[in-house]
Amino acid sequence: MATSAYVPLDVLSPDPVIARYKEGIDRTLIRENLRKTHEQRLLMLQQMQEFVAEVRAAGEAMRQKKA
Amino acid sequence: MIQFRTLLSALQSNGVAFVIIGGVAATLHGSARVTYDLDLIYERSPDNLERIVAALKPYDPYLRGAPPGLPFKFDSETLKRGLNFTLTTTEGPIDLLGELSGIGPYDTVAQHTVEAELFGSTVHFLDIDALITSKKAAGRAKDLEAIAELETIKEERQR
Repeated sequence: MATSAYVPLDVLSPDPVIARYKEGIDRTLIRENLRKTHEQRLLMLQQMQEFVAEVRAAGEAMRQKKA
Repeated sequence: MIQFRTLLSALQSNGVAFVIIGGVAATLHGSARVTYDLDLIYERSPDNLERIVAALKPYDPYLRGAPPGLPFKFDSETLKRGLNFTLTTTEGPIDLLGELSGIGPYDTVAQHTVEAELFGSTVHFLDIDALITSKKAAGRAKDLEAIAELETIKEERQR
């Protein structure tokens, strides 16, 4: 007699939308992050936030200069 | 920008019961996506509400996106009357949530956490399966890529 085991629903029917998004994920970035400590990951995020803020400020300054 | 060290140290040193969720929890799991606020689930006991106020009041919490000058008072009574607060502070945006979609209130969330050593103390953040569940429950378009990345992180961990 066959035994039944609990199988998560996602395994039986993986979401095709999520699967499509997964194709675009850069695994090299994830592998690099997984080698870091939790604190290093958080500090990296903070650096990225600072970088984005600087780029936005530079863009805004350029728009004002053109106007 | 979020000054993680300042905000988390303030919460920890005041003994606040909280769990990191959302994008910052994803970062702690290894996500490469950039998030712009610190989302927390907080315990809603009267003592913990007082501790939250003591921890965050020095950083001038105010309702994010609200016009200046509203009679918003960041105290335990305000926290008691509400549930979810999206705030701006001098140290960056912080969201205080009383419940998490797909998971529940703090007591339930606290059963699905992992620990991280951050800035000299131990903090709790949502485990990856619960994080995926919460993002699926939220049902926002922007979460689809986040869910895909979290599932990829799970795969990479198992390699």
